[in-house]
Amino acid sequence: MDAVIFDSVSKVFRHRPALFNWIGKERVEPTVALRDISFRVQTGSVLALLGPNGSGKTTLLKLISTMLLPDAGRVIINRAETHRDPQQVRRCVGFAVAGERSFFPRLTARENLDFFAALDDVPARERKARIQFMLARTGLLDAADTLMMKFSAGMYQRLAMARALMKQPAVLLLDEPTRSLDPAVTADIWELVRELSADDTTVLIATHNFQEAATVADFVAVLRQGALVAHEDVKGLNAQEVRSLYFQTRWDGVTNNFELVAESCR
Amino acid sequence: MNVAAFADKSVAIVRRDLLTALRYRSAFVLTAAGTLTELAAFYYLSRAIGPGFRPAGLDYFSFLLVGTGFYTFLIMGIHSFLQSVQEAQQTGTFEVLMTTSTPPPILLLLSAMSAFSRNVAQLLFYLAVGLVIFDGTLPRPGIAACVLVFFLSVLIAIAIGLMAAALQVAIQKGSVVLWALGSGAWLLTGTLFPVASLPQPLRFAAGLIPITHALDAMRTALLQGRGFSALSHEIGILALFALTLLPLGLAVFSFSLYRARREGTLSAY
Repeated sequence: MDAVIFDSVSKVFRHRPALFNWIGKERVEPTVALRDISFRVQTGSVLALLGPNGSGKTTLLKLISTMLLPDAGRVIINRAETHRDPQQVRRCVGFAVAGERSFFPRLTARENLDFFAALDDVPARERKARIQFMLARTGLLDAADTLMMKFSAGMYQRLAMARALMKQPAVLLLDEPTRSLDPAVTADIWELVRELSADDTTVLIATHNFQEAATVADFVAVLRQGALVAHEDVKGLNAQEVRSLYFQTRWDGVTNNFELVAESCR
Repeated sequence: MNVAAFADKSVAIVRRDLLTALRYRSAFVLTAAGTLTELAAFYYLSRAIGPGFRPAGLDYFSFLLVGTGFYTFLIMGIHSFLQSVQEAQQTGTFEVLMTTSTPPPILLLLSAMSAFSRNVAQLLFYLAVGLVIFDGTLPRPGIAACVLVFFLSVLIAIAIGLMAAALQVAIQKGSVVLWALGSGAWLLTGTLFPVASLPQPLRFAAGLIPITHALDAMRTALLQGRGFSALSHEIGILALFALTLLPLGLAVFSFSLYRARREGTLSAY
């Protein structure tokens, strides 16, 4: 079964410039974030989204989470369409956002998890044990009763992952999950992702890290200026091979900047 | 959503707000000090004007006490909806909150109800200080009518609050609009002086503002001890406002969220 289906999805951000736009000139042309994207992700598999900054990776994750709605096409998660049945989608999707500002700064890590767990309908009798488990699993048990405002970037990231996992989602979205983490914790997170996949959780990871893609992903999707330029099976490939795949990607049959960059790296 | 889940979420939100408020230690003290100062100003204003001025036959300080106390309660209640969205936008939690399993209008309603309960405590404190320290009087409070007026006024404040929240989602500077409207309402609703003192066109405009009727009915119930029959006209108007504005508020808020999701401005602030 396919847990995630993108069917001809497009997303355009329109800019409404401020008054007196001649004083401080602001962009007025729309930004095409995703153009006619179609792909499927099988239940229990891990898909790594690769692409340069601004290629549409986070937009794609936000469309799955219902933070955004598509301008065209359909996004279907576990048979529920994000446009028609957003609440059903939200029940089965966990999203570890990349930004650090997504917690209540004057609450502790434990209090934040408890709050979001209540909103996500985690049964009250299970909540305490689940919080304890997730804090331990993300290595935050010692900081459980520290106010969020005193957390480091890496701690924020780990707690975002713990929060996303609290409701035991069928689909987990990770936006650059190891960006601020040290190598030991990174390895631990990769192991966790593989465990989740083995338990039939579908995982989508937006990343710039080829090692991460090679270690945890079953498939890689490469985005370039909002277009899906590759969707490949990478099981068994190493980081170097994933990197080669990324740089050899062609777009609209024309050699793109990746190859130029790749040339300069060789 | 069943009752147990609703109660569970309500407790979580009240707990979050209480813990956050307690951790801003100085805010409690400053609020209490602000209340004392404000009431002192009204007390000396009423003394300066003298006992001859009795709006609607009421002692002026008591008129001010109930008027300003209830006006502040309603405006703060409306503002709390906007503030819930604004704070969530500024702390970066808004996008995440809007994608939990709790439907956004319910989440906003619960957040605002938590703020309302805090405002009730402040209103009671305000009235208690006015009565005990500044010798205000509530000669014959009609409790039953007062409770009904309070309930209808809160429904109206929720409806307007939903629209204020929608404004915040749409333009991210909803507080400016609310401030402008609040200033107008302060003038027109009869908070500081009777609406009868205003010229006819402004009196007509005052009648279109639900808070005018809420204040009038609350004063009549609390200070004159009038029952349901004497208040039936005002209660009817308040009920009509509530029935009209509540579905409108919900629709406007839902539309503003839909629009923000389409435009990608959910996290903008």
